[in-house]
Amino acid sequence: MNTKRVAMLLLLGSMVVVPVAQAQIKHIEMRVEGMT
Amino acid sequence: MKQSLGRQSGVQTVEVSLIDGKVDVTPKEDGQIDPAQLLKATYDSGVSVAELDMTARGKIVKDSLGNFVLQIAPNRSFVLAPNELSKGLEPLVDSPTLVTVRGQLYKKPAGKKKADASAPLKLLILEVQKKE
Repeated sequence: MNTKRVAMLLLLGSMVVVPVAQAQIKHIEMRVEGMT
Repeated sequence: MKQSLGRQSGVQTVEVSLIDGKVDVTPKEDGQIDPAQLLKATYDSGVSVAELDMTARGKIVKDSLGNFVLQIAPNRSFVLAPNELSKGLEPLVDSPTLVTVRGQLYKKPAGKKKADASAPLKLLILEVQKKE
């Protein structure tokens, strides 16, 4: 029984979602002239 | 201008500060944003862009011409203007390491009233924020 619980815990632990870094443009900033 | 930029693909929000002439663009996560298109749209709305900076995360690869580029997606990459910071990233070529950099993509040439917004954009790295 204990072995089953441990196995279940290990399985759930391995399913924890880790945020994956993704290539992307994160921010764009412009300095402009002639804006009214 | 704000509406025009907001209509561009991949744009989530646009914030304009009239006081200091600053425009902040937050991209959507769909990766569709195109800085060159934003530059053109800004010029087309009658406003002159003095400078465009970008923060992006991507891989360092070498293109077919031997240039080091920051690749954001298979069809979206920026040639790196050579400087000390870009040289420091060269060993990462073709490695899976993702780098987050802040850099200048465009600066209006001094003395010109209107610059050529269609010229290819090079990324001059100003800061390497993260390697992961």
